Amino acid sequence: MNDKRHDRRDVELDRYFALARQAPPDISGVERNFETRVMARIRESREQQDPWYAWAWRLAPIFLVLTILLTGWSVIYSPAHPDDPVATLASGTQEVALLDYLTGE
Amino acid sequence: MYALGVPIAVPDEDADLVRFAIGGDDEAFTELVRRHKGTVLRSAARFARNPAELEDLGQETFLRVYRDLRYFRGDAPFGHWLSRITVHVCYDALRKRRREEKDLSLEVLAGPVADPSTGNGPSAQLARMILDQAMSRLKPEERLVITLFELEDRSVREVAELTGWSETGVKVRAFRARQALKRYIGGDDER
Repeated sequence: MNDKRHDRRDVELDRYFALARQAPPDISGVERNFETRVMARIRESREQQDPWYAWAWRLAPIFLVLTILLTGWSVIYSPAHPDDPVATLASGTQEVALLDYLTGE
Repeated sequence: MYALGVPIAVPDEDADLVRFAIGGDDEAFTELVRRHKGTVLRSAARFARNPAELEDLGQETFLRVYRDLRYFRGDAPFGHWLSRITVHVCYDALRKRRREEKDLSLEVLAGPVADPSTGNGPSAQLARMILDQAMSRLKPEERLVITLFELEDRSVREVAELTGWSETGVKVRAFRARQALKRYIGGDDER
């Protein structure tokens, strides 16, 4: 009983599809001068400002050169590090100890 | 070679126009739009609710084509590539619409409709309207598949190629869509 009802509905649905295929949608109104409107919209979108990521790509070579220059500068002008890290720390504390001694603290 | 059920004019001429359009020739792109607008609009009209929406879908499709034209590899006809873009634009629109129309009323489908096989059945226009209303309740992916499958007379493989889904996925969606449509049109909607 239920199967028969489903069969009937399948047939009914197929008839609807067949009928709908016979009635193609009317596009004549939209089709008229459609290409003119599309081109107008394309021109409009071209005139809009470039997105930020487009500028980021254009600026990429400048950032690259800047990075190379900064790397070179840091290699050439970096101060020499002392070999002993304790000596580096002690050099700072000596001055503090002397100051404490002189001020009586 | 066919695109959305309509023969593609001359693929070689399309290739030339595409090349010129990529080079910045607006006239070439205009010619491409002129040549394919019928195909695109006829397909999009299956998903649009009114002429304004059809205009939007058509324009969005060609804007996307213009934007992505440089990615067109030319290993398939331009018409086929265009069909895929059309399908994706329509699918995006269906998904967006689904979010906007969560509580759509379908009282018109409350009872069984007349049998179209009898003389008293609906006309082709009415059948399309009833189907449109019933299909508006389907999930976007189900509506897309059933439209391409039943109204555009596409094969499973073609639908799979156009949507990018597997053939099994297409079959499952088509089956679910049919089940839902039978419920809606039969008047025992449970959703």
